[in-house]
Amino acid sequence: MTLVAPDVLTRPSPSLLSRARILLAILDPLRLAGVVLFVLVWQVLTLGLPAIILPTPRGVVERLVADFWSAPALSYYGVEEANLYGNLIYTAENVAIAVVIGSVIGILAGLLSARFGIIRAIIDPVMMTAGTVPILVAAPFLLIWFGVGRASAVCLVIFYVIVILYLFAQRAATNLDPVYEESARTLGATPAGIVRDILIPATVPEILGGLRIALAGAWGLEAIAELLGSQSGVGKVLEVLAGATDPQGIMATLLMLGLAAIVVDAVAAFAVARTAKWSAASR
Amino acid sequence: MITSHVHRDRWISVAVFLTLAAIWQVLSMVYTAEAQPGEPMIAGWQVLFTNTFLAMSDYWQGGFGVPAVADGAARSYPAAFLAVASHSIDTIGRLAIGLAVGGAAGLLFGLAVSWSRWTRRLFDWPLQFLRTLPLLAMVPLFQLWFGTYFLGEVLFVAYGIGVIVFAGTVNAVRNVPQIYIDNARSLGASRWTLCRTIVLPAIFPAMRSTILLSLGAGWSAVLGAEYLGAQSGLGYIIVYAQQFAYLDRMFFIALLFIVYTSISYWAIGRLSARWLAWAPPSQRR
Repeated sequence: MTLVAPDVLTRPSPSLLSRARILLAILDPLRLAGVVLFVLVWQVLTLGLPAIILPTPRGVVERLVADFWSAPALSYYGVEEANLYGNLIYTAENVAIAVVIGSVIGILAGLLSARFGIIRAIIDPVMMTAGTVPILVAAPFLLIWFGVGRASAVCLVIFYVIVILYLFAQRAATNLDPVYEESARTLGATPAGIVRDILIPATVPEILGGLRIALAGAWGLEAIAELLGSQSGVGKVLEVLAGATDPQGIMATLLMLGLAAIVVDAVAAFAVARTAKWSAASR
Repeated sequence: MITSHVHRDRWISVAVFLTLAAIWQVLSMVYTAEAQPGEPMIAGWQVLFTNTFLAMSDYWQGGFGVPAVADGAARSYPAAFLAVASHSIDTIGRLAIGLAVGGAAGLLFGLAVSWSRWTRRLFDWPLQFLRTLPLLAMVPLFQLWFGTYFLGEVLFVAYGIGVIVFAGTVNAVRNVPQIYIDNARSLGASRWTLCRTIVLPAIFPAMRSTILLSLGAGWSAVLGAEYLGAQSGLGYIIVYAQQFAYLDRMFFIALLFIVYTSISYWAIGRLSARWLAWAPPSQRR
């Protein structure tokens, strides 16, 4: 017996025409027009405001292109890597480490809490409280305890990723209709078999969705953690540029951070759709 | 059965918090390193509620018959209490005004953009991009634009909340079942009536999570605004305490924050649950 509908097996692979249609749907002309409009409004605003307040969109893009590989001015302010590229890599590494560690802890805790009431009763209040603490309250403690460096920024992001994935994993496992596990048990499945064949396939799609949300937020948190105290990274660059009253540089850096987050999110969305093919939610 | 579970869980959470408090106390006794002379890295409760609380009177500006420490008066409990209260009021006031302005603006813009499928598509990408930008990393930009005055702080909070409410509104309107709208249209409803009687009530259940989300962003934003330049508020105290490595004061303010944020989440949760009493449970997300 198979759960896959027969037409899925016989469906032809997407033709060139349908691929072109998908591409057109992604590059919706109206959406592109929205971006153009946004840039136009920005451009019009710059006409009335001095460049020190609002730089022109062109200037910001040119600045980003120029500073990406080499920005010697940054080294005068004490940033280790005198280019945006190196700092972006530093930030991305920290985000990756934090998301991996945080998601392992968060998913395990969430799944356990969904199956054992006593664990849930113990962890829930801690997570609920931890989730409400604004990051800027937690950050100074980590900076003093762990010092200025990679560890405190990564800890801060791990803390946040754990809370999000705990909630997502718990919800995914709680919402799973008990009928699946019951009938598997009736048919003689072992606990390990239930985890492998029921719990994981059923919860992975929702957990991956949570992972995407955590990943999207992690960029901003990492940046702010670096802004408060670090030797390199995008946040450090922002701090330095803010000190130098350089809105063009700030906006160029923010633009790069936003673009990086969008690209990573798109890759993650693709990977999620690939990994959780069986799920309706990921389509 | 269920009530006994709730009862048991409540006792467990009380026990968890008491255990955490005890662990903190033990840590403070075991790990006695000091950030600087007289300032323990981990301050025990006996320090927090005496020395630390008294030290809060340093932040009292004077008034109500209680002189400021800066004017030569000794630290006193009334001054400490007044200092905590006045800085809390400043922070909460900024948050409240920002929430009101940002929430209203976000909702209005969101509804305007949702006017038709065309406008929604037109604003989709710029909106997505604005949402990607890390809010707290934009503090320097707002500081540059609006200075460190009250207006800049409130605008920053309002922007942070507005973007979330805006995106939430657009998303919620998109999920309103088309059949509701078609039905009202075929009965001759105008756009205005449609918005007032169909769309607004229909999006409200979905907006609940948006409101809770924006509350969290609001607390972060108000701290972010105070971090970089405000002359009052709880964030201001944290910044000054950090500069002198007064960890006990930072911990005291952090505890205050936990209390405030928990109360605000609880209040908004209760309030929205009451407003949503009419909605079917499956819609109350």
